[in-house]
Amino acid sequence: MSRDDAVVGVDRDTPGGRPPRAWEVAQRLGLRAANDDVADDLPAYAELHCLSDFSFLRGAASAEALFARAAQCGYEALAITDECSLAGIVRGLEAARATGLRLIVGSEFALSCGLRCVLLIENQAGYVRLCELITRARRAARKGEYRLGRDDLADVLAARAGETGSCGLFVLWLPAELPDAAEARWLQGLFGDRMHLAVELHRDRDDAARLARLLALAAELDIEAVAAGDVHMDVRRRRALQDTMTAIRHNTPLADCGAHLFRNGERHLRTRRALGHIYPHALLEAAVRLARRCTFDLDQIRYAYPAELVPDGHTPASWLRALTEQGMRERWPGGVPANVAAQIDGELALIAELKYEAFFLTVEDIVRYARSRGILCQGRGSSANSAVCFALGITVVNPAESRLLMARFLSRERNEPPDIDVDFEHERREEVLQYVYAKYGRERAALAATVIRYRGKSAVRDVAKAFGLPADQVALLAECYGWGNGEAPMEQRLREAGFDPDNALIARVLAVTEQLREHPRHLSQHVGGFVISDAALSTVVPVENAAMPDRTIIQWDKDDLETMRLLKVDCLALGMLTCIRKAVDLVERHRGYRIDLAQLPPGDAPTYAMIQAADTVGVFQIESRAQMSMLPRLKPKDFYDLVVEVAIVRPGPIQGDMVHPYLRRRQGKEKVTYPSVDIRAILEPTLGIPLFQEQVMELVIHAGYTAEQADGLRRSMAAWRHGGDMEPHRVRIRELMEAKGYSSAFIDQIFEQIKGFGSYGFPQSHAASFAKLVYISCWLKRHEPAAFACALLNAQPMGFYSPSQIVQDARRGRGGRIGIEVRPVDVTCSDWDNTLEGGYVKRGVDDGGQAALRLGLRQVGGLSEAMAQAVLAARVQRPFRDVRDLCLRAGLDERARRALAEAGALQTLAGHRHAARWAVAGIERQRPLFPGSPDEDAVALPAPTAAEDVLSDYRATGLTLRTHPLALLRGQLRQRRLLDSRQLERLPHGRQVRTAGLVTQRQRPATAKGTIFVTIEDEHGMVNLVVWSDLAVRRRKALLGARLLAARGRWERVDGVRHLIASDLADLSHLLGELQTVSRDFH
Amino acid sequence: MLWACILLPQLALDAVLRRLPDPARPLALVGGPAQLRTLHAVNAAAAAAGLRAGMRLTAAHALLPEAALVDHDAQAESRWQQFLAAWAYRHSSQVGAQWPGCLLLEVRASFGLLGPWPRIEARLREELTALGFSHRIAMAPTPRAAHVLAGLRDGLSVSNPAAIRELLDRVPVRRARLPDDTGERLHRMGLRDLRSVRALPAGGLRRRFGAALLDHLARLYGEADDALTLYRPPDRFDLRIELGYDVESHTPLLFPLRRMIGDLCTYLSIRDGGVQRFTLRLEQETAHTDVDVGLLAAERAPGLLFELTRSRLERVQLERPVLALRLIAHELPPFVPATRDLFDVRTQQNLPWPQLRERLRARLGDAAVHRVAPTCDPRPERAWRRVDADGGAIAPAPPRPPRPAWLLPRPVPLRDVRLRLVAGPERLESGWWDGEDARRDYYVLETSQGQRAWAFAPPGEQGGWMLHGWFA
Repeated sequence: MSRDDAVVGVDRDTPGGRPPRAWEVAQRLGLRAANDDVADDLPAYAELHCLSDFSFLRGAASAEALFARAAQCGYEALAITDECSLAGIVRGLEAARATGLRLIVGSEFALSCGLRCVLLIENQAGYVRLCELITRARRAARKGEYRLGRDDLADVLAARAGETGSCGLFVLWLPAELPDAAEARWLQGLFGDRMHLAVELHRDRDDAARLARLLALAAELDIEAVAAGDVHMDVRRRRALQDTMTAIRHNTPLADCGAHLFRNGERHLRTRRALGHIYPHALLEAAVRLARRCTFDLDQIRYAYPAELVPDGHTPASWLRALTEQGMRERWPGGVPANVAAQIDGELALIAELKYEAFFLTVEDIVRYARSRGILCQGRGSSANSAVCFALGITVVNPAESRLLMARFLSRERNEPPDIDVDFEHERREEVLQYVYAKYGRERAALAATVIRYRGKSAVRDVAKAFGLPADQVALLAECYGWGNGEAPMEQRLREAGFDPDNALIARVLAVTEQLREHPRHLSQHVGGFVISDAALSTVVPVENAAMPDRTIIQWDKDDLETMRLLKVDCLALGMLTCIRKAVDLVERHRGYRIDLAQLPPGDAPTYAMIQAADTVGVFQIESRAQMSMLPRLKPKDFYDLVVEVAIVRPGPIQGDMVHPYLRRRQGKEKVTYPSVDIRAILEPTLGIPLFQEQVMELVIHAGYTAEQADGLRRSMAAWRHGGDMEPHRVRIRELMEAKGYSSAFIDQIFEQIKGFGSYGFPQSHAASFAKLVYISCWLKRHEPAAFACALLNAQPMGFYSPSQIVQDARRGRGGRIGIEVRPVDVTCSDWDNTLEGGYVKRGVDDGGQAALRLGLRQVGGLSEAMAQAVLAARVQRPFRDVRDLCLRAGLDERARRALAEAGALQTLAGHRHAARWAVAGIERQRPLFPGSPDEDAVALPAPTAAEDVLSDYRATGLTLRTHPLALLRGQLRQRRLLDSRQLERLPHGRQVRTAGLVTQRQRPATAKGTIFVTIEDEHGMVNLVVWSDLAVRRRKALLGARLLAARGRWERVDGVRHLIASDLADLSHLLGELQTVSRDFH
Repeated sequence: MLWACILLPQLALDAVLRRLPDPARPLALVGGPAQLRTLHAVNAAAAAAGLRAGMRLTAAHALLPEAALVDHDAQAESRWQQFLAAWAYRHSSQVGAQWPGCLLLEVRASFGLLGPWPRIEARLREELTALGFSHRIAMAPTPRAAHVLAGLRDGLSVSNPAAIRELLDRVPVRRARLPDDTGERLHRMGLRDLRSVRALPAGGLRRRFGAALLDHLARLYGEADDALTLYRPPDRFDLRIELGYDVESHTPLLFPLRRMIGDLCTYLSIRDGGVQRFTLRLEQETAHTDVDVGLLAAERAPGLLFELTRSRLERVQLERPVLALRLIAHELPPFVPATRDLFDVRTQQNLPWPQLRERLRARLGDAAVHRVAPTCDPRPERAWRRVDADGGAIAPAPPRPPRPAWLLPRPVPLRDVRLRLVAGPERLESGWWDGEDARRDYYVLETSQGQRAWAFAPPGEQGGWMLHGWFA
């Protein structure tokens, strides 16, 4: 085995590296640009009423599809009028640009009184009004809904002080089946001659009669009538999808949905020839005339970054320079190296040229706030790892240290917004968000939206329900789209689940599912992308309520923001930062010194020794099993190696087959060569093997691409994942590289890697920021194991390991890392958090004098924090006399009392668990009438056995400080000739062995072709099992069901990496009895 | 008194298995909400493959895709418990069915009639096995003790009071069927058997576990009486007559039928009730045929009931010989004699509608009389459906453009050279979801004879007319 194990459980975070959506749209629509510009004698037309798929579960076609169709039909313009929303309008703009067809911005509304209309925007003033109107309607209702009354509409339309000219909006009245002239008169009163009557004919009733009636009404009221289409789809064949969406929206099976369905497929973008047969030409011409009056262009949106961060007397540029210089003095007290100073000058000039000062100042302000509150944070991203950001304190990655290629800092050619994500401690990010809200006000700051789309599983679930399938079948079908299927073809999965793919009904369900996939479903809030504006945001984009109370989101997602050139700051939450900050505080309190993270000694040998031994349970990033199996081979020895380590276990390098060549070169098994001397500088840091996305870009630029072409390539890479075309690039790169004399094999390899990056590009700029946290967390684990373990437990849930594994690892120690004492949870001395007790001031390099870790009440299952705090408050008054005293003074409810007894936290007050349970059960519900209620006769109960205590420990806290359960079973296991993990460690490579352990993790990585990786644990440590797919099938039950798993197989140890290649498995869970264990499966 | 407890460990599962041809195939009952389907119970074959109650459906599916899945019917358990209580009533006049999953029978009183306990026990087991219910049986002086014993070991029987106390003392607390989670809690306090629990001060126990524990123990040990609610057979009539010979025509059935109807009416008059609906079941070799008789109002006149039943019976084709007759009557409402007007003016031609309906149904069969209700389907031929004549209210039709009063059963070509378009088109494109997508343009046409026709053509065409209805 072994080579491929490096590939296990690839980490998939994908920072950066995706192309702007607008670019993709332009690529796709550009390819199709087959317009019939041939003059014809068909009537001209512009569609004024058209819903895109951002009218969720109503519109069945994307703006892109709609524009493609409208252009093909030779329309003059197309309005996107989603219902009370502008969430899809940017997509409309992108498609309009790509097709050359004009976009009209508008929105459809149904007022609470029942009146329906479409508002169309004439000019900038109208746009602002529409944003306000949508914001008002959306804010007045629950997430995803809106409420708009006649008064609201009148209010927003009322002329404002200092405003001259019109309201900037046109209205299309959508008469009901029985038109109500009163509605029309009311609208007329509001809009005057800006009101039009929409005549929408769909052959679903007597069109001629309808037309006559509406025209008569228009004449009577003196309103101009225009033709409109109430368009819900691009082409007629989208009808099945549209019907299904309707059924989903009404939560009614299709067969019972008749009253809600459209009677036919006429609500598509009809050809002008068809329209000419349906409408009088005067109505079509009226639509075109009205369209021409809507001159607003979304490009006119003016957005300004907040200006208040710059003090009087400064320009943004001078202030940024002042702050940077101040930071430089702090970072380099002995004087700034000349090359760094030059780099900073260059960066500042570029920032000034692109006018991004305000953005950097905003990020700096947020980071400064966080720092002032002691909230740990770190920036990452291509712009973050710049010398300016280092000086400003946004990142701690010293550009000199990480050998960064700076090409991607900012690019003049690409004209791309700066990329900075800031990670904050996950428990305190909310404080930062609230600071931003408070500083700029809710009108000016809001989170970006994320568009939640249908995935296979959610799509098939909704579609199958719409077809009226019973709940069990819906669940099973959904499961066919779930994780557990590896790469088996859908047909096989269906057959295994008991469906017949040839069955007509199933075939229809699947066909519609495929159509529904990727359709937007609703808006949700972005994980942390803040948009801040100088003027009220609602004049730029509508704002609506998010699911969380007190959260508002704008209707645009990050791609929209990019297209509209709005800047956003990503404020993300990172658990490891919480852990590090807590550890630093604990070290200060118990070891008497303050760690300055920026000044942590680099290149600490014991820390690197620990990393090389893969002793990394709990640290940042390099704790996964895949990373751990890489560490002993890669043997990181300096910071740059950590950057490589973070980036190498990712699909890019793996797919490009760069991992093993790199390892061989590191281990000196292969000579380091370069394809040509010229690119030695690019590849030297990584021994001639390109590992980072930046390097690949440098290579193609070196081969002859311009920066812009290289950027095009980067974008095609991402598009390639969605079926985009890479062939032109492949041909061109091959030509260029062949001309430079590179070998054909190397070119192929580069190209494979490019495709790998396309899926999950991992740029060096992110890896460097992560590597910093890796180093810090490893340093803490190595030198301050007690503080690190304690902080890690308090920052849970995070990472790969359970509290039980963290505690075992901390107690055991390994190599030079000291094992620490862990004390049980005890109601007389535990806090809510886990705490440290004792500890000596650190002397020199000695790591002795570690404090003991006292488990906190938070580890007690079923105990609420409120109850725990009540215990602490009562304890401060005076120590507890006995269990009764505790329960009465802390006012513990029954659940809390039992939880404490179960967890063994009453040991000091009541003795063993049996006695504690008896004692808490005897507490009356109410305070007794007399203070000293009669004491009961003492009852002597037998003490629990060791095994019972272990059982209770696991049940109540998920971990035990007593004997490991497997130690209790060791006798029985030995009889079965099963070895423990310590015995395995001593065996040579290739030996046939038998072992058993508690299952703690099961993984089935997509890159591993059905192989399952299982981690088992015994009293001495963990053993990694590799289960090939044929064995996995044969022993499915044991593999998936066992809590205690026995395995037989071949013991492998190569380069310090150890595995057991299982040849057989058995379930020994019955030996555990009632022990409850937890396994982290298939994450 | 001596009580037998019949424990029914997998009642719901047995109820499903007994109707399956191959109960050895893996099978699981599935319950829970749609998003979180879990297994409720599994049979032996499924358990052998690793399926367990409480497991997620998807996990079970991963383990054993071929397992048959049956929806768990939450009501089934109590229904079958009642069924078995009725069965048990044959063996004892005191049957308790109030504790879930078990039956209690007082058996001492039956010794004289049915023989000693071993014989009764054997008979119970035999019949239960024949019925297809797995069971555990124990006997003890108190119902609770019998219940506990049945859980401990199948077949235990202890009638000696001293012996039972001795035995109960050794029962583990978790298996003593103590109220709620008391057994588990006592166990976790290190108290392992009932003896050690009883050794504790009663005050301390009451304080911790309430009076329920002490009550339970007293009743278990026979120190207090257990007030059981005893089973009462339901109010229904169910009479079966074996014919003793194969009957292949109607006539020989009439005599026993008249007897049964007579018995029914006697029963009804004792109850001072009537019958509104009953079933005559013709039992054949492997199957049976039901003749359902429904009445407008409760009746108990033998002549009327017999005639009505006879007219229904005579329409049944006897394809296989009848071996037995069974008369089952569930709906036995109180009988209210019809008040007759002194000057009854009603004539045969003037039947009220419900009575006419009953008569039509009696003459033509239930299937021949029905009502019409609109549906939501946009396709005209599916825009209505037949509903049961007795059904409740009918929902109003969804709004639609005008429809002809006379819709043809299926469209037929309309050939007329001088058609005039009156209105249209009304384009219909719908119904794709069941594979019969309709795509038609409907028009109202005037024929050369001046009739108004409703016809359709393929979308976008005006020819090849298919006539689908006539406007009156």
